[in-house]
Amino acid sequence: MSAVIAARGLTKRYGKNTAVDHIDFEIPAGRIVGLIGPNGSGKTTTLKAALGLIPFEGELSVLGKDPRTERDALMEDVCFIADVAILPRWLRVRDALDFVEGIHPRFSRAKAEAYLARTKLGADQKVKQMSKGMIVQLHLALVMAIDAKLLVLDEPTLGLDIMYRKQFYQHLLEDYFDEGKTIVITTHQVEEVEHILSDLMFIRDGKIVLASTMDEIGQRYTELMVGPDKVGAANALGPIDKRTVFGKSVMLFDGVPRAQLDVLGETRNPSVADLFVATMKGMYA
Amino acid sequence: MKTMKWLLRREFWEHKGMFFWAPVIAAALIAVLLTIASAQLATNAMAHATINGHQVTAQVNGIPAELKQAIGSGMAGGYLAVSAPLFFLLGLAVFLYCLNSLYEERRDRSILFWKSLPLSDRDTVLSKIGAGVVMLPLIYIGVATVLSLVVLFVIATVLFVKGINLFPVLFSEGGLYLAPFQLLGLLPVYALWALPTVGWLMLVSVWARSKAFMWAVGVPLMTIAVLKFVTVTYHLDWNVDWFVREVALRGMDGVFPGIWLAAEHVGADQLVNPATHMMDMTNVLRASYGTLSSPSAWIGALAGVAMLAATVRLRRWRDEG
Repeated sequence: MSAVIAARGLTKRYGKNTAVDHIDFEIPAGRIVGLIGPNGSGKTTTLKAALGLIPFEGELSVLGKDPRTERDALMEDVCFIADVAILPRWLRVRDALDFVEGIHPRFSRAKAEAYLARTKLGADQKVKQMSKGMIVQLHLALVMAIDAKLLVLDEPTLGLDIMYRKQFYQHLLEDYFDEGKTIVITTHQVEEVEHILSDLMFIRDGKIVLASTMDEIGQRYTELMVGPDKVGAANALGPIDKRTVFGKSVMLFDGVPRAQLDVLGETRNPSVADLFVATMKGMYA
Repeated sequence: MKTMKWLLRREFWEHKGMFFWAPVIAAALIAVLLTIASAQLATNAMAHATINGHQVTAQVNGIPAELKQAIGSGMAGGYLAVSAPLFFLLGLAVFLYCLNSLYEERRDRSILFWKSLPLSDRDTVLSKIGAGVVMLPLIYIGVATVLSLVVLFVIATVLFVKGINLFPVLFSEGGLYLAPFQLLGLLPVYALWALPTVGWLMLVSVWARSKAFMWAVGVPLMTIAVLKFVTVTYHLDWNVDWFVREVALRGMDGVFPGIWLAAEHVGADQLVNPATHMMDMTNVLRASYGTLSSPSAWIGALAGVAMLAATVRLRRWRDEG
């Protein structure tokens, strides 16, 4: 069993709407995968299918199990934070720790307490007395202390201050992630996650339009900043996207050798955000 | 098993007000009111008192021994009756608890947190049934027992001040010690008769997108109204009253303790000890188990189980967006 998640012909329809349209993909163990797509592209639906929250068509195996029929066993090894999930208002920090410790075989109370010690949260505090940032801190303390094989994060930092967001991703990388774990993240703030991702998946209209490792993407795509004199030559190489910055043209190339572009101007690796915009062209028109 | 313990504890944390403070406060209120009334009785120069509907003429120089015995054993067998308001409160509590049990977690979105943990839908629903028909009644029974003993003690003290010492009779009555256990013994009857209502309320709770109370009460009432209308308009001989009694009401009133006595038309005479003319727990227990010979009890329970199975399925697959 090499793939943590393997989908073949995964399809989800809501009435006449097809949210996810026959997609195939494989996520190997030990990766941090960014699942990126515009609103309504099917990314949350894909994750919900993988977490056994909704019925679907096609084949989907998560840690070798079918999330439709083996969800109860699966959830011992999988954890998730959904963007809309919140902790109940009546929950006390101490009770939350007691509860998860009581029911989860892979929960480390010491880890959760160590994380909470770095926050202002007190053991007697109830969720209803916390700010949104604090609630997320508690939620993360609980989830991060679970030694899950697969962690799914659907907009985990939505609505949080930049301080909390930075802290969160740093914590995720330094204290949580190791080669035995796999993380799938969806987010709108691509620039915040791109440096931690090992793999990238773009999803559009229920289909996967790009699935690649970050290394491959670095080799395949090049961004070129070119002066007006060489625009013609650059255009001849067929850029997939063009924009103008301070009178210079910035072009994005797919599969053109970097040595060939170097002679025309400055080259660099494109950001995931630029790549995303180029790939999703027409979506927002 | 360990998971179930934590799930039940979670229900207690969430509903501490309903599970603990409501009965304790209600009991304290009843005890205080009865104590004030009794104290007044003790200081007044009244010659008689009314205890559980029984007129007692108190003379300073005592009452006949056989009457004393009768009053003593009557009080020992029926002293729990003073907690009746608490059991009405229990009915309300179980009703509201079931109706909110699976609705609140969807409304505040915490369901996605619970679903991110290794907690099966079956265990979650089972824990909520257990909290509603076992844990809640057990707490109320405990509080009711304490309250009833306190009130019994207060009344006996007042009588003692008045020159009637009932303590020796009371303490020698087996019924005094037996009554709380007889109350516990009613729990299986309660759970069985509560099942159709618990099932219906939880089904609404897991299904309704909003206004759970409107659905839970509105659907049966509207069905009755439509049936009545159709029967009258088309001169049909449908037995709407049967539907009201056996279907609509069973879905709403089953959580009220003692409802089985009303449903099976158990007369008050069967609950009363003929020797003392007072309600007696032994008779209540016997009459209550007698209602289990009715097929209606079991058909209702089966319907309840079916609705609870549907509840588990709905919680498993309902797309919470």
